[in-house]
Amino acid sequence: MARFPSKSSGQVPCCPSGVNSPASATVLLCVLAATLSILLPPAVSARTVKDQTGRSVDVPNNLHRLVSLAPNITEIVYALGLGDELVGDTDYCDFPPQAKNKPHVGTMVNPSLERIVALKPDLALGTPEANRRETADQLERLGIPLYGVTASTLAGTLASIEDLGKILGRASEARSLVAEMQARIDRVEKRIEGQPKPRVLFVVWYRPLITVGPSTFIADVIRAAGGTPIGENLKGEWPRLTLEELLPQNPDVILLPKTESFSPSTEEFQSLPGWKDLRAVKERRMFFVSETVMRPGPRLVDALEELAGVLHPTVAFKTGERQ
Amino acid sequence: MTFPATPRNVIVVAGVMSLLLVLTVLVSLTMGAVHLPLSEVWAALVSPGTNSEAAVIVRGIRLPRILLAILVGAALSVAGTGLQALLRNPLADPYVLGISSGAAVGAIFALWIGGRVAAASPLAAFVGAVITMVWVYLLGRHGGRLSSYTLILAGVITASFLSAVILFMLTLLSTRDVRGIAFWLMGDLSVTPVAELRILAPAIILAIAGLYVFAKDLNVLLLGAEEAAHLGVNVVRVELGVYILASLLTGIAVSASGAIGYLGLLVPHLGRMLVGNDHRMLLPTAALGGAILLVLSDTLARTAVAPAELPVGAVTAVAGAPVFIYLLRKTAG
Repeated sequence: MARFPSKSSGQVPCCPSGVNSPASATVLLCVLAATLSILLPPAVSARTVKDQTGRSVDVPNNLHRLVSLAPNITEIVYALGLGDELVGDTDYCDFPPQAKNKPHVGTMVNPSLERIVALKPDLALGTPEANRRETADQLERLGIPLYGVTASTLAGTLASIEDLGKILGRASEARSLVAEMQARIDRVEKRIEGQPKPRVLFVVWYRPLITVGPSTFIADVIRAAGGTPIGENLKGEWPRLTLEELLPQNPDVILLPKTESFSPSTEEFQSLPGWKDLRAVKERRMFFVSETVMRPGPRLVDALEELAGVLHPTVAFKTGERQ
Repeated sequence: MTFPATPRNVIVVAGVMSLLLVLTVLVSLTMGAVHLPLSEVWAALVSPGTNSEAAVIVRGIRLPRILLAILVGAALSVAGTGLQALLRNPLADPYVLGISSGAAVGAIFALWIGGRVAAASPLAAFVGAVITMVWVYLLGRHGGRLSSYTLILAGVITASFLSAVILFMLTLLSTRDVRGIAFWLMGDLSVTPVAELRILAPAIILAIAGLYVFAKDLNVLLLGAEEAAHLGVNVVRVELGVYILASLLTGIAVSASGAIGYLGLLVPHLGRMLVGNDHRMLLPTAALGGAILLVLSDTLARTAVAPAELPVGAVTAVAGAPVFIYLLRKTAG
């Protein structure tokens, strides 16, 4: 951890010229400074592992109390049958519905550390996609191990589920969950085989237009669903797309995630400058899709099937169709 | 209301303010996203051996954060007081000289090139602040000594240029890093590690004590540089000393907690209304008053939308602007 150079405190010009009471306030401040205390993390029987973000984490051998710091992780925890062990999650954890009734620790970006401490977790679970490094550092300081998972592809999402399964002592459950998800992925792949791949614009925000970068799991789901996400040359996770870049790429399909904060009407899009000339707009191929596609958890395959159905209606792939 | 700044009066005022501060700290310790009964808060404070959840929350989370608020609040307020006197401008605040922007550039630059080592890197921010301090000083020098007008202009121009640099760098950072830096830019007390308090505390206390040494000279300086020189004040030395110390205080505070707004502008004004213009009285009043106000603001930041938390800079900005307007109307009328 970076420190201040101790030199900074030494550059005090020493010239007490005609001061009546030099340091009355200083003395009081010194007393306050002297009350600084430091906290030692409690010792527990644990094994040290590297998590998916590269941090080494002391994972306790007995895990009974888990806190999830992201909605997709909450879903994974439930899917692994550990819903009862989950003692806290975030304000945004809304699936499965029981997750809403768990004690909340705040938002992903700025949770309340003291809430987390009060829940006495054996292990906290987070992801750099949603949480801040500072939160991870603080939890470490407070002696709460935080295990991080990260995924930027569909396959990576499956891998992170399997990884969490191993860490949480649910390896076989995780394996069968992942096998089931993989089977559904394969089924989609077979269905769309030989179909043309429409060019897809995924709209994260529209004023300005923000789309998904090629290395995000959303772009990967679009590819797996038989589409070609436009903007393969864009950099970053959530790049801006100018009209100049958009027009020549002329998407066949425009996808908009349905969220509480984002529900523009399709008319609103048609009125945006230049948009009415886009093929997707002219052919009325603009679709609202469930925001599940933005959550790298067990339901990402639901989103995959939904997207495949939207992109390839001719192969009669019904939304949410099960085996 | 003004008291003559006799040593006795200074001690009385500082004593009363310190009591108020202690009271504020005690109240703040009992407030948070987790409800803790008073008895548990007290137990956590007086028996350092225990490791209950209450003890971790009180000693590991609330107390370090409160101590940081005290230090940063005092630093920004004293820096603001010193700069308002140095620049003879009631609108001066610790950020007018561009030092916070310099710190921000340093922090973001470190994120940019260094990745995770530099997460919220206070050292890089401090280096940025010091470089800016030297740069603005060189720009603001006129004929061998500081000219308050040139200095303000140099600071404002530097600040706006650096803001542009910040925006440029932010557009190139990954979303993940922007999320972290956004809180810092707004001013946030939640992220400084406890270990840093051990460096911050002596640095800030020494710099405040150093500024206090100039208290009497600052009074004379308010008459104007030439008059002060006639009255036997070594103006060059005083101006340089106050400039360096106020800048260092700002740099240290911003490095630790980002640019918390309004405090350094407002507290000197409040202080002058309370105890008058004598810096021997005003500086300790500003230090303690700034500490009290920032502890209060951060308590609000921790509890207003619990369990989520606001960056404290949002609280001081929302509360600070109306208070400033009120003061303006009151002093104008």
